[in-house]
Amino acid sequence: MSTWEEFSFDAAKAGARAVISRLDSVLLHFVENCVGCALCDINCPYTPAGEEYGPVEKAEPLRKVIRGQVFLAARILPWLFSAKLPRSAEELNRWVELAYRCTNCGLCYTTCPFGIHSGVMIQHLRYFLAKSGRVPALLKMMIDLETSGNILSVESFGKIWSELLERLKGLGVTFDRKGARYVYLPSLAEALITPGAITGTAKILNKLGLDWTMPSVPLSVHAPIASLVGDSEAVLEITKRVAGYVTEIGASTVILSDGGYPYRFFRFDAHALLKKPLGFDVIHVVELLHEAMKKGALKLREADQRITWHSPCQLGRMGGLIDEPADILSSASKNFVKLKSHGFFSKCCGGGNGIACVVPPTVEMFEKLLGGSIPIPEKEKVFLDKLFRDMLVASKAKVDEIRESGASVVVTACVGCVQTLHLAGKVYELGVEVKTLSEFVAELLPE
Amino acid sequence: MDLLYLSVYVLPPYVVAMFLFGVAYRISRYVLMYRRVPIRRRSRPAFKLLVGLVKTFIDPLVITARFRVSDFVGGLILLHILGVIPLIFLLGQHVAMFSYWFPPYSALRFLSIPSSATSPALTLTAPVKPTSSMSWTFVESIWGPLTIVLNGDLLAVLAIMGVLYRLGDRLWKASRNMIHIRLGDFTALLLLLAILVTGFFATHHMPSGDIVTYRFVLGLHILLAETLVVALPFTKFWHFVFGYWYGKLHEWYDLKYRRGAL
Repeated sequence: MSTWEEFSFDAAKAGARAVISRLDSVLLHFVENCVGCALCDINCPYTPAGEEYGPVEKAEPLRKVIRGQVFLAARILPWLFSAKLPRSAEELNRWVELAYRCTNCGLCYTTCPFGIHSGVMIQHLRYFLAKSGRVPALLKMMIDLETSGNILSVESFGKIWSELLERLKGLGVTFDRKGARYVYLPSLAEALITPGAITGTAKILNKLGLDWTMPSVPLSVHAPIASLVGDSEAVLEITKRVAGYVTEIGASTVILSDGGYPYRFFRFDAHALLKKPLGFDVIHVVELLHEAMKKGALKLREADQRITWHSPCQLGRMGGLIDEPADILSSASKNFVKLKSHGFFSKCCGGGNGIACVVPPTVEMFEKLLGGSIPIPEKEKVFLDKLFRDMLVASKAKVDEIRESGASVVVTACVGCVQTLHLAGKVYELGVEVKTLSEFVAELLPE
Repeated sequence: MDLLYLSVYVLPPYVVAMFLFGVAYRISRYVLMYRRVPIRRRSRPAFKLLVGLVKTFIDPLVITARFRVSDFVGGLILLHILGVIPLIFLLGQHVAMFSYWFPPYSALRFLSIPSSATSPALTLTAPVKPTSSMSWTFVESIWGPLTIVLNGDLLAVLAIMGVLYRLGDRLWKASRNMIHIRLGDFTALLLLLAILVTGFFATHHMPSGDIVTYRFVLGLHILLAETLVVALPFTKFWHFVFGYWYGKLHEWYDLKYRRGAL
């Protein structure tokens, strides 16, 4: 276990080489075409927590690493071109602080006059930091668990999953059935944090009369969780595992109910990593619902509550499903109201990219589940405490929007968003119910 | 051979050669680092994608105008839109100079703007047609009375204000230990400032009216401008030629064309 007090310049150099090997034309553009105007600060959820958390500032460490390795002039005159590797544990820890103030929501990308996606750069920075020995303990534990493939080796996780399977069996769900056309892939994280999304999706798929199945054991903790530290090797491994399972079943389509990074990754990015097509389509349950309702094949009972939709960044801005969830909800309730920032520039909840999954309340939740304490070094504890305070500042804008909407139920479709809104809602006394879209829609399915 | 002769008659071919080398260097890296990967896209109507393309370029401007007025006025309006772009490409003297080096540039002469509102020589508002041995004059300029605003003096002052705003902004951030502030930010802005000030001085025969000083100041102005052209592919000025266009087109392709986020 890293104590966050060691520093190895050799490890930093190895990390830099690992990052450089990933440089392509798009990353090159992100690295070298920033003019430092800092307009990206405007929409970043973390800027209110401190001007040093603006995207341009957070991405700068990666630029320092890459400049020194790639650009000839910067190698010759590193002080002139601001090219350097960290030289101490303090400096490395400072970079960690910056890298973990990014939700990879993409708002900096769409705000930047030059189309620079600082979030992608920060993922690479996290990879550099991981190679240099800095990964939050809980995140590392989950990555190791997912990579091991033996997700249910933890007793309490196995118990929760078994109980879930019992409920699903009661709904007539079949498991690992070869020849099914659709495979629904819930993760362990959904079983732990949003179990209603899994049973809700099962009800929806049954109602739509689809030929579907799902794995009897979770294929992942929250695939690909290693992408949160930019670890492409581990991500590739889990991608192959998931693809292998779906191919074995022989399904043509994978359905996801989590609209966080798993959806964005499997829908758009997995092919690039595999360097070949996945061999099956990946859709979100929102797409199935939208299609069915558009065709008139599904009509929901009307809800009474005033509801609103929080668009997960990876499903909306980065996943292209912006209007579809709002269409579904507006036909489910006359009291549906859009949030002020709804649309392409929808505000981020502030807890994405693994942040809400490593902060102290989540650590405590996992400690309860595991029945013991998670060994976290003192320096990391200080880091996590401040991260939680900053996450709450970052969440404030979203919480305020929800409050202004007057909704009593906020619907969303991402494990990270649900966890963040729960944590922030409690602190800010928001007093609204947070539900996943599958859960909410399942309650309105006709008899 | 004085500085003016050197900068006008000797250096231009070398400047162009170095600029082209720099452009080839920068572009070739993008070509060499390009990795072709299989993509999956979400189909969206062509018209919506077209609107999305326009919005991709406009959105940052609207956001800046709404949420950061000082940057919008200082950085965009003063420095870019009113200042540098019309000054570089349309100032009458520049159009004449560029046309000498590159004759097809004279096609823009009808758009040229005068150096001063009070001495609107070379424009429609000129009371007397200038005596010139050149084959054409600028009396065809389309701007008419607008030259009261669209003139080199005013635009230079606005551009200088824009550069000073940017310098001040960088100094403020540097004082707050922001790590993204680099020495290159200051050298680029100071070079721009020096070009603007020497250009303004040359136009007004400052600091003295004697021919030697005039030729030196004008020569220095052109030499600094040539330095900017040489440095352009290697500095953040590159955004003007490539970074802006590539970046926004890539963003549109990635988010709107590929992912269908409209």
